[in-house]
Amino acid sequence: MTSTAGGRDIIICEGVKKWFGDFQALRGITTTVAEGEVVVVFGPSGSGKSTFIRTLNRLEEHDEGRIVIDGVELNENLRNLEKVRSEVGMVFQQFNLFPHLTVRRNITLALTNVRHLRKAEADALAEQLLNRVGIPEQVDKYPAQLSGGQQQRVAIARALAMQPKIMLFDEPTSALDPEMIKEVLDVMTQLAHEGMTMIVITHEMGFAREVADRFLFFDDGMIVEEGTPEHFFEDPQEERTKLFLSQIL
Amino acid sequence: MDAMTAAKAPPAQFSIQARRWARDNLFGGIGNTLLTVVTSLFLAFAFYQILRFVFSSAQWDVIEANRRLLFIGRFPQGEEWRLWPTIFLVSALAGLTWGLWSKVGWLAAVLLALVLVPVFLFFAHGQVGMLTALAIALALMGYAVTQTGLVHERFQGPIRQLIVVGWVMAFPVTIFMLLAFGGVDPSLWGGFYLNILLAVVGIVASFPLGVLLALSRTSSYPAFRLVSTGYIELFRGVPLITILLMAWFVLPDFLPSWSVPVFAPAGLDRMELVYRVMVALTLFSAAYVAEIVRGGLLAVPKGQLEAAQALGLSTVRINALIVLPQALRAVLPALVGQFISLFKDTSLVSIVTLVELLRAGRAIAQGQIQFSGRDPEILLFVALLFWIVAFSMSRLSQRLEHSLGIGER
Ligand SMILES: Nc1ncnc2c1ncn2[C@@H]1O[C@H](COP(=O)(O)OP(=O)(O)O)[C@@H](O)[C@H]1O
Ligand SMILES: [Mg+2]
Repeated sequence: MTSTAGGRDIIICEGVKKWFGDFQALRGITTTVAEGEVVVVFGPSGSGKSTFIRTLNRLEEHDEGRIVIDGVELNENLRNLEKVRSEVGMVFQQFNLFPHLTVRRNITLALTNVRHLRKAEADALAEQLLNRVGIPEQVDKYPAQLSGGQQQRVAIARALAMQPKIMLFDEPTSALDPEMIKEVLDVMTQLAHEGMTMIVITHEMGFAREVADRFLFFDDGMIVEEGTPEHFFEDPQEERTKLFLSQIL
Repeated sequence: MDAMTAAKAPPAQFSIQARRWARDNLFGGIGNTLLTVVTSLFLAFAFYQILRFVFSSAQWDVIEANRRLLFIGRFPQGEEWRLWPTIFLVSALAGLTWGLWSKVGWLAAVLLALVLVPVFLFFAHGQVGMLTALAIALALMGYAVTQTGLVHERFQGPIRQLIVVGWVMAFPVTIFMLLAFGGVDPSLWGGFYLNILLAVVGIVASFPLGVLLALSRTSSYPAFRLVSTGYIELFRGVPLITILLMAWFVLPDFLPSWSVPVFAPAGLDRMELVYRVMVALTLFSAAYVAEIVRGGLLAVPKGQLEAAQALGLSTVRINALIVLPQALRAVLPALVGQFISLFKDTSLVSIVTLVELLRAGRAIAQGQIQFSGRDPEILLFVALLFWIVAFSMSRLSQRLEHSLGIGER
């Protein structure tokens, strides 16, 4: 386990609630994440995990409660939503690379259009990032020419390009063939060791145990149980947690 | 046959494949064979009749005598110099573009020459012949310069930019040449030149308008949605002919008398008919472009939008850089189809008295006694001209699809 955690609280959630029509997807989420902390979120399908992390960069707007990201509260008065978003990187289950752009352009797009870097600087950064995720040779290809694992690593590089303070991962390996899962998890592990603040939705429990400072177990729109990996593996308290762990382990 | 020998002997391989294909597809069973034979006989007969007409019974002198009317309508004598700069510019640009962006197959080149050379020899002589030859020479030079590697790698980028600037400038140059130094009354513009002018204006203007309408119809602001939905449904529900007639009779009553330099110096309500027709074609086509583009917008996965939002891109940039490029790629074939339709629909402006190609052709058969009864020749020639342009647009679209990797990524 890494112990880079312990800095100031960079994410603060207080009683976050979210409805889709009549259906309540989040029933009051309260938690804080410290700078450098790695939090793994897991739980049954439909329990609100994705909805929760998507409220953190306001891809979903919460209806009640408070969310503060790096000192900025997310609400409809927010002047600079784009700025907040550019400091929170997100990696999706389906990669969501831009298929009409080369790998290089996927990575530099926000650099030149949000950060207003010059093209040469952005290109240099893109190459550096591809090196970091282990695929420098793919820079001029299109996403469709890459394997799933390579695509997801490009997606990570794209998010990292903005030098975010927080990285959100929504089941980054569940769309991958088994032999490609490790290459993506390795990149994420390295990132965790470098001190990135991360919230990761995953059911890769080996990886989770190795990198996480804290687990959140979601069910039915709530955090049912929360604690260190040891706590979950050795001494889970709630019946629902025990049942779910017995199913996935 | 293993891979090595197969690679060395493609002709044999090809003929075997062709024979197998013919056996499987044309002569499989009695019914199939019968169908193949009957179809072949019919096609041979039709082909023979057409050839016989074109080379034996048709009297093409009617075209030769009226080529001026067909190509430029009632454009005044002595003002033709206004047209040639556009023709030269477009020829050179076409050659350069063709050479730089795509390879032409030798078969296609030979076929083109086989069609163009006799047509040219037959129809173009005298001064017009010289000028036409110059235009063709410019096109060929443009093609040769960019295709044969004469241009150093280093200059390819600047040349591309120059070509794009040239295409953008072509239209203003055209209008300037038509209107400057005394100018030619727009009501005298005509012939195939008018069809092409109307089509270019219609395409260039209705494309951005259609994209805006599509974006606002899919936007989250109800007011935008309402306005654009209303517009689209209104213009799609009315026949183009009706809209053209309204541009003729009704539009002046609705427009204010503001004076607009160049296009309506005497006031918008007295705008030239040709310009009103351009407005009508643009408004009509925009509704269709909007629906086509909207289809493309809906086809872009939601994840694309979310990924772009998560990077902190603004809404305008998300649309311009992520959503629209993907949407337009997806609907390129349909979009080009719409533009080909618009081009052919320019023949409808004859309804409002403009002498475009088709009307010019009808006028010959009806007004010139020595050529009465020559409708088949005239109509065939008119059809050929429309077809050449429409087919080129279709080919261009296929090239574009190919170079954008549509269907591959
Ligand atoms: N856009 C939406 N509209 C309606 N219901 C939604 C929407 N997004 C998610 N939901 C519902 O909210 C619940 C939680 O979804 P989600 O957060 O995706 O769960 P998880 O990621 O844990 O599988 C599910 O029941 C899902 O059907
Ligand atoms: Mg989910």
